Parts: sequence; structure tokens; C-alpha cells
Amino acid sequence: MSDRLYKLIARVMNVPVSDINDGTGPESIESWTSFNGYVLLYELENEFKVKFTLDEAIDVKTIADIKRHLKNHGVILND
Amino acid sequence: MHTESKLSHYINKANSFVGRKFEKKIRVALLSSFTVNGLEEVLRVKSAEKNIECITYVASYSQYNQEILNQKSNLYKFSPDVTFLILDTRSILGNLFYFPYSLSLDQRKDFIEKKTEELCNLVKIFTNTSKSKLVITNFSIPTYSSYGIFETKTEFGFQDMIRDLNVKLSYAFKNIDPVYLYDFNGFVSLHGEKNVFDFQQFLFGDIKVSLDYIPYLSHDLMSYIIAVLGMSKKCIVLDLDNTLWGGIAGEDGFDGIKLGPTPPGNAYVEFQHHLLALHQRGIILAINSKNNPEDALKIMKDHPFMILREESFACLKINWDDKVSNMKEIADELNIGLDSMVFLDDDPINREYMRMNLSQVLTVELPQDPSHYSTLVQSMNEFNVLKITEEDAKRGQMYLQQHERKKLESSAPNLEEFLKQLELRISIKNADTFTIPRISQLTLKTNQFNLTTKRYQEEDIARFAKDEKYLVGCAQVEDKFGDNGITGVFIVQKDSSKEWSIDTFLLSCRVIGKEVEKGILGHIIKQAKKSGVERIKAQFIPSKKNKPIENFLPNCGFTKEGEHWIYLLNSTFKIPDYITVSAQ
Repeated sequence: MSDRLYKLIARVMNVPVSDINDGTGPESIESWTSFNGYVLLYELENEFKVKFTLDEAIDVKTIADIKRHLKNHGVILND
Repeated sequence: MHTESKLSHYINKANSFVGRKFEKKIRVALLSSFTVNGLEEVLRVKSAEKNIECITYVASYSQYNQEILNQKSNLYKFSPDVTFLILDTRSILGNLFYFPYSLSLDQRKDFIEKKTEELCNLVKIFTNTSKSKLVITNFSIPTYSSYGIFETKTEFGFQDMIRDLNVKLSYAFKNIDPVYLYDFNGFVSLHGEKNVFDFQQFLFGDIKVSLDYIPYLSHDLMSYIIAVLGMSKKCIVLDLDNTLWGGIAGEDGFDGIKLGPTPPGNAYVEFQHHLLALHQRGIILAINSKNNPEDALKIMKDHPFMILREESFACLKINWDDKVSNMKEIADELNIGLDSMVFLDDDPINREYMRMNLSQVLTVELPQDPSHYSTLVQSMNEFNVLKITEEDAKRGQMYLQQHERKKLESSAPNLEEFLKQLELRISIKNADTFTIPRISQLTLKTNQFNLTTKRYQEEDIARFAKDEKYLVGCAQVEDKFGDNGITGVFIVQKDSSKEWSIDTFLLSCRVIGKEVEKGILGHIIKQAKKSGVERIKAQFIPSKKNKPIENFLPNCGFTKEGEHWIYLLNSTFKIPDYITVSAQ
């Protein structure tokens, strides 16, 4: 599942999958602008059939945050 | 309705055009009252798909007033060809969006008057400062009102206010040529307010067109880019079986095909109605079908539920020949470029074959279900033009006359005899309010018989027409079969008292091959002689498509001097006897 998540993030942010890890965020990926950050959440919602709350959307700073929120919505990611 | 890709698809793709060469180029500025991130990327990708390099300028968030008011702003420095000003109801109303009834009836009316005035002033400043086309959005009328069911009972209520603003803007801009009002309210109606506006996205980042709908909005805005660049499609080429009717003429027969008032035949009737409407506004229709001509023609002539009849089509290729060869013949006969043509065929193999062999033709993916044919045609943005002229509306009739001319041409013993029998009459007209739109349109879309292929917007032509240093005119061409309308344009620059130079000289493909050009050139020469001019200078700028005009200058007595062609007015120019030329 992490693979699916990483591929999606890589596609949206236009970076290689190898650049992505739990600590990845706006600071490490140049294309992670606030707008692209929102595009990412939107694509995650479509991919994993979840709906983030506004609080969750604002809270996302790193991939680890995304994983945490996806887990709260019942998405199982096998690391 | 066509289905758009996700926004991220466009955002990723937008970075992949570095170093690519494009056929056309356009400079687009985006101004908005809210976040329109993503729109710029989608416009660039959609342009690239049409071989257009779209160079963009995105004004800072909500800075549209400052950008327009400041004559030295980056917007004006960027010098756009098209500027999109995208506004939204919340921004324009401010707190009144929530509390419209905090104002009295008179105050509400007054508010809308003032807003209209403000926007009109802004537009005026823009058009006075920039040569760009301006596309301004109208306002989405919210479906919610705190007054609930009483809203529609309330005089000049919340929704009426926006509706009135939209109507006022529409009237205000109707006669300002470079300004177009985009029906954003219609866009929201089409896609649904709850889809286009997403509260979470709005609250998160002031996104007022939700991410999924930015590509749809861009699709609509592309209509203006296509029209400004003169890339609109002129002709729809249709298959017959399972495209204009259900079933196969040769197998199901006249009585067996599906075409009529009940389903599924009514899907084809509906589709034909839409095609006829496009035909009536000037889109040429043609047939490219593998069929027995007798079977197909009988349906076209006699079937009680056919909406399009034989005379609706400028060209019929109903045979067992290869569809690609038929397509090329249609382009030749109609004298239009393959890149002006759209191909609609239900058979995916035919479509693929056309795409592989004639990539210039826009081969559209026709849905499997014929009930979606109409929406497909409605959602195409390729037929948009900046202006629909009288000539456009007459086009169908003109192509029928063209058939008659062809018949005469094939029966006449030689070309001269044919031209004599045509009884050609050319009326030269000045550039004025009535002719300027058509003159500009011809410069924008004429490719073949066009000496310099210079593209001019209406504002440019109007400027030339006012300038004493220019002679601008057009030619209406008639013959015994009918009126071809305004089909020739010339722009001559009066360089000095002794020398004039031809800036633009073109003929619409409809009148090529009849020596009309000699009639028009004869008129220019006559005017030059009257003014005491000694020589006329001209230039042939070769393009991919203007080979037909290549020998025009030497054929008319021009001689080459370096880069230019010169005609000396002490020689005699003869307009062919069979052409009558009259001037306004």
C-alpha cells in the first residue's frame, strides 16, 4: 500500500519515488507548494476513497502525517 | 459531455514542453479575484495539444484592479494577446453576499449600478491601454438565499441583483469589439454549483473553482484562444451508417434504419438538429461514407425523418473508396485545409485509420451510445469564432452555388469560356463598420491565396481604415449563380507620393481560380494612378499553405527587385474582359 501511496505522491509532485520517505514534505520537495499540497490531498481522497477534514488538511506537513490520517480513516498501509 | 483528466495530470505535463517547437504562439494573461492555480498549467497543456505555445502571465492573487489601473504594471509590460479576468460573486459582493437585505431595495439597485459602472470603467481603462482581447467572466447566481422560498417573491432580491449585473455587463460589452463576456454562470449551471464550488477547498485555499473543474473551465477558455488564432474548424465530415442514422442503409434498408421520433431513432434526429444548427451558422457539412450511393441518397432525399438533406452538404463522397482518399478529395473540392476539418465516424477502426494517415484532421472519439452524440458536438470548443458574419450564415447556400459552378466548369470547353459564362462582378467596398469584421476575419483565417499571411484583429483594421496612409478595402464577388459575399481583401500602405506597398492581398478559397485577383489588383492600380503614384511594391511571404498565390505577382507584371516585387505604373494593366469591377 505504501507503494501505491508513494507512486501517487511522486506523480503529483513530479519527483522520483526514491525521493519520498516519511520525512518528505514541502521543505524537501520544491514542487510541494501549498496549492500542490492540496492537489495531493485531493488525489489521495480519490485514490483511497476517503474524505479528509479541514483540520487534517491543514495538519499535513510530511508524508508521515498523510499516513497517520489515512490510517485514521481505516486505510491499511503495509510498511 | 467529454470527460476531463485530473488537474494533476495537467500540472505534471505542463513541465514537459521545454525546447519543443510549436506552430503558433499566444500570450495569455490571467487575472482573478480568487486562487486560480492550476488554470495556467492546464491552458498551457491544452494549447500544446493544439500545437500552440501558450506563454502566460499570472497576476498576483486578487491584484486585478491594481494591474489594470497601473499603466506601468507587469500585465501591460507582458503585452498579452488574450487576457482572462476571472471574477466571482463573493468577491464582488463582499459582505452583501451574506447580508444582501441589509440594504433597502433602492440601495440594492444602486449598488448594482455602481458595480456595473466600476467594472465598465476597469474594462475601458484596460482596452485603452492594451491591444489584448479581454475575456471577463460574468457572475454565478447562487442557488441559496437566506430568504428561501420567499427569495423569488422579493423585488430585486439577492439573485435578481446578480442576474441584473450579468445582463448589464452583457449589454455594456456587446459593442466593445475586443471584450467578450464569458458565461461563467452558465458554466456553473452546466456542471452544478455543488461540484464547481467546494466549501472545503474554498476554506482551505480560497479555491472557488474546485480542482476537478479547472480543466473544464480551461476547456471553455480555450475557445477564445482557438478563435483569436483563427484555428477554428470550418467543416464537419460525417459518416452515415450508425452516425447520421442507426443501422446500415445497405442491409436494413430505407424502412429498417433507426431514424424517427421514438428511441433509439430520435437520438439521430436530435444529433442531426444540432448539426443543422451549426450548418446554419456557417459550418460546412460533408459526407464521407462507404455505402451504395443510391441507398444513401434515397434516405437523404425521401426519408420522412431526415433533418439534413442532400442540399445541407457541400460535398458528398458516398462510395466504396478509401476514406482517407475521400477526405483529401473533400478538402480539394471545398478548397479548405485538412486542418479545418472534423471527422465524425462511429467506427473506431475508421477513426484510427484517419488519425494515422491524416493527423491534421480532427478525428473525434464518437461515444458508443448515439444519445451522447449531441452533447459531444455541443461540448466541442473548436467551432468558435470571434464573430459570426453575414457571410458565415450564407455559407451553406454558397456551397450549393459552388456545385452549379463546378457543373458549368466541367461542361465549358475551356477555362476562358467558363469564366465568360460565369458573368463575374466585383464590387470593391471600403473598410467601414459593416465590412471591418469580415476583413479581419478573412485576414485571420485565409491561408492559401494570401500574399503575406498577416493576421489582423478588427481593431487593427479599424486603425488602418482611419489612417490616411492606408488604403483598405474588400471585394464582394458575385456571378450568375449567386453572391459569394466578401471574399477578397487588400491593405495598401501609401509609403510616399510616388510609391505604395501592398501589405495584405488575399482571396477566400471560394473564389480562387476565377481571376478575381486581377480585378482587385486592377482597382488598386487605378487608385494608385489617380494619386500620381509611380510604382507599387509587393512582397510574397511564403508559408506552408500559400503556394496558390506564389506566381500571382509575376503573372500580373511585377518584376523582382531584391526581396520585393515592383509594378511600374507607366505600364498598362488589363482586367480580363469578362470581369466587371465597380467601386464604392
